[in-house]
Amino acid sequence: MKHLIKIYIFIFISIIIAIGYLYFSLTQTQEKLADNINSLFISQTREFAHNIQDEIHKRVQHHLYNTLLDNEELRLDLEDSMSTVTTDTYKFIYVLYKDAQGNYRYLLDGSKEDKGEFDEKLNVNKNLWNRVYKTQHSQLLYQKNLDGLWGTYLEPIIYDGKTVAIVAIDFSTSFPENIAKAMQPLNNIFLYIFVAIILVLIILAYQTFLNLRTKKDAITDELTQTYNRNYLREFLEDINVAKYQIIMLDIDYFKHVNDTYGHKIGDNILRDVSELIKKQIRQNDKLVRFGGEEFLLFIYRKESGAKLAFNVAQRIRKKIEKTPFVYGDVEIHITVSMGISCSPEHFKNVSDAIKHADEMLYIAKREGRNQVITQENKEGVTTLKQDEGLSIHEIKEVIESGGLRCFFQPIFDTQTQKVLKYEALVRLELQDGTIVPPMLFVPNILYTNLYNQMTKGVLEIVFDKIAKHQIPISVNLNFSDILNNDILEMIVQELESHKEFAPWLVIELLEYEPLDIDKTIVMKNITKIKSYGVKIAVDDFGSGYANYEVFQMLPIDIIKIDGSLIKNIDTSSISYTVVRSILLLTQELGIETVAEFVHSQEVFEVVKELGVSSVQGFYFAQPQAKLLEEED
Amino acid sequence: MKKFIFIILFIPMFLFASHVSYEVKIYHVIFSSLFPQKDLINVWSDSAKKKETLSQIKCIHFVELQKNADILLLSKTKNLTSDTMKFVTSYKLLKHYKQSAVGGFYWQKGRPNILFLKKNLQKYHLKLPPSLQEYEVDSL
Repeated sequence: MKHLIKIYIFIFISIIIAIGYLYFSLTQTQEKLADNINSLFISQTREFAHNIQDEIHKRVQHHLYNTLLDNEELRLDLEDSMSTVTTDTYKFIYVLYKDAQGNYRYLLDGSKEDKGEFDEKLNVNKNLWNRVYKTQHSQLLYQKNLDGLWGTYLEPIIYDGKTVAIVAIDFSTSFPENIAKAMQPLNNIFLYIFVAIILVLIILAYQTFLNLRTKKDAITDELTQTYNRNYLREFLEDINVAKYQIIMLDIDYFKHVNDTYGHKIGDNILRDVSELIKKQIRQNDKLVRFGGEEFLLFIYRKESGAKLAFNVAQRIRKKIEKTPFVYGDVEIHITVSMGISCSPEHFKNVSDAIKHADEMLYIAKREGRNQVITQENKEGVTTLKQDEGLSIHEIKEVIESGGLRCFFQPIFDTQTQKVLKYEALVRLELQDGTIVPPMLFVPNILYTNLYNQMTKGVLEIVFDKIAKHQIPISVNLNFSDILNNDILEMIVQELESHKEFAPWLVIELLEYEPLDIDKTIVMKNITKIKSYGVKIAVDDFGSGYANYEVFQMLPIDIIKIDGSLIKNIDTSSISYTVVRSILLLTQELGIETVAEFVHSQEVFEVVKELGVSSVQGFYFAQPQAKLLEEED
Repeated sequence: MKKFIFIILFIPMFLFASHVSYEVKIYHVIFSSLFPQKDLINVWSDSAKKKETLSQIKCIHFVELQKNADILLLSKTKNLTSDTMKFVTSYKLLKHYKQSAVGGFYWQKGRPNILFLKKNLQKYHLKLPPSLQEYEVDSL
């Protein structure tokens, strides 16, 4: 953009200089032409004056004054000759002599109007006339204060080496007008050229304006008037990364704002937050709307070591936290989370530095939001361990590029050993085809929006399978998911969208979390889900925090007995007894049971004998990418 | 548009005004020089135009009767025999009153022409200031 503006400015300056040069050249040319025309008129005037002088010499050999005084006929004759020269340009043609007192008086007057009489005195500029008298050189006088006259040409009449009179020719003001008239066609051509250039310039300026506006529109986010990803792409092409620190900013619980107050207010929040951020940064800093409610800030620094971003980020965070966003009767308080890449120059490229800022942002969100996290200050918070699985960014990239997969493990009826249903197990498929199990990515994205995105994806895959095969499929959720409004709402939306297939869905709640939660809310949320016909199962029952309170608290349809009890049930009397007691209770309550981790014939025989409703495990089938119904 | 009409109408008036104001100044100098002792000079004129033009000179007062005038400013009247000082506005009248007129002021070939006749000035015991003496002539 800046380059473009520089180019346009250069073009404009060049054109202005060219016009200036052209104007100067034309003015010079005009002046030269005017001088030439002027000279032409002057030489013609000189010729006239010579002719008059010759005529006088021819007719009067000596004693000019006395001869003319005595001979009125000669005077009239000479005046008549002189009057033939009189035109609009040569207004007055006359001959004056200097009397004894030094006054100038008429000898002859060839003028057609305002004619002077013989011997009549005429006020003239004596100094100049005397000079002609004395020097005997002709002279052109420019008249400044004489009405209707532009100039006077004076030619001395010399007899016997002495000046006896002066021929005067007065030019009317029409003389310069005539010159101007002669120049008019040329002036018109120059005028047309200038008008054409000005028009071209105006068109060019308008075109430039349109180009710049289009360019600006293309790189500006319409809603927030911040830069958009188009600009970011250009900006990153020639960025000197050492000159910036990068902040990734996200508005906390923005979806909640949108869902509660509507998208119009959501848009207002985005716009107003952007304005607040803009006021906290400098001209050199860049604010880019990166995604929905995500912003990227490039904080300029003169020296690569300078650490400005943290202070800027804290300032923004505090400002937004303290600002009430009021729209009509609604007052909303929001917070923002930020992750900072303090030393982008240490990364392989700027994309990695942005990813790092994004990771810091995810930590900020995971650790409770409304905070700023940098590599330096993340000590004390639970950091990601890259060696324990995929990084958040890797997970994000895989999910966004369509790498989310579900593997399905069949669950068999214990008596008939036919497939009753499937359990969907989430996987990621990397670009090289590697399948990544959930323990390598799910823990890293818990409490992030990515987790919600993943859950939504899993539900869509499962509903797709149910729609095709009309067979029950279960998905795993955490208890906290049911309590999280965002996830709950997403689940409800999915159920609403796939209403007719909802009764085939089973939600398995992982039981390992402590149940020190508001039971009323849990009950309310699960009842809402069950209202679509969804069955609720408690997963891994009998391990960890196994708590019989769950039977009181939840409207449970299925209990999945934990694999740690099942896998050695054929050899451990304790496992056998625990499972038997669980079954006694579930049979009393009418709750279906599933034995997990059935890995051998012996284990299967025991669970069958105990009366477990259904079984799953490697003895029957491993999780696979396709349902058994889909296999050839 | 209003500005344009204003310029079209008033530019010729301004040009004319400059010519007139030049003439007024000359007359002011002439009359002040002829009557250096008088604060108010009574002038009789046969030209309504001259009266209108010169009425802006504060030291001049136009009178209706020749007998009340200090000087007669003549533009056309030829048969006056009054002894009152005369000043004319053309060369022809100056020639006509060359025995009695102290001088004349008229325009010729765009130039202001001032003439004072020495002998008539002497008749009225007038001495012109140096700035006007160059316009004094012995005869026409």
